[in-house]
Amino acid sequence: MKYFGSGRSGAFDWFFQRVSGIVLLVTLFLHFYVMHFAIEGPITYEKVMVRLSSPGWKALDIVFLIFAVYHAVNGFKLIIDDYVHSTVLRAVTIGLLWVMGIAFLTIGIMTIVNLRVQS
Amino acid sequence: MKVFQPQKRYRLHPGYIAWILHRVTGVLLGLYLFLHIWVIHYLAQGEQAFNKVMGIVQSPLFLVLEVGLLGTVVYHGINGLRVILVDYGNMAKREIFRKAVYVTFALSAAIIIAGGIPMLMHAFSH
Repeated sequence: MKYFGSGRSGAFDWFFQRVSGIVLLVTLFLHFYVMHFAIEGPITYEKVMVRLSSPGWKALDIVFLIFAVYHAVNGFKLIIDDYVHSTVLRAVTIGLLWVMGIAFLTIGIMTIVNLRVQS
Repeated sequence: MKVFQPQKRYRLHPGYIAWILHRVTGVLLGLYLFLHIWVIHYLAQGEQAFNKVMGIVQSPLFLVLEVGLLGTVVYHGINGLRVILVDYGNMAKREIFRKAVYVTFALSAAIIIAGGIPMLMHAFSH
């Protein structure tokens, strides 16, 4: 318990933050282009469903979502590592981060996958 | 865990400001991502629910706030690329480091202005 959470070196986290960052630059630019230039006018259910009914877009969106949530959670973890030193507070904040990350990842994937069923 | 308190305070040199901005925009983007996932989850609640919530987030107020989103994304992305080039490229070099930071600031500002003006014009044309 003394060295709670310090069993890993963090080298993978460091490296993959850069890899996911580059992936996000590409996917986010595509996301931006599709939502603001490929679509005319306000975004509506119908316009979103046109794309999201195709398995290719669904797969791409899920990959995008996973990379984005990973990058965000890893970033928050980095900040916790920098500022939160007490063992108890680290356990609470990192635990909360895991719960939030998994919860929002699940909500996001369910949103993308469930679309056809709901329409 | 032994915690080493800093013995010195850093001057606010450009690289330090870039780091602070990266951290602040990172936190904002992380919070935005969670909010965004929550808003878009209404897509699975059917057409009416989704169009209602999208009507709110595409109102003029949110279109103005979106300029802030553009700014945080653009800065975080460009500075992130600079950080990668500090790690793997030549941007850690003494003669280049500071220039690279200024280029990051200038490029971000240019993109924010170039994107922000039409966005604001669109928001106020409603």
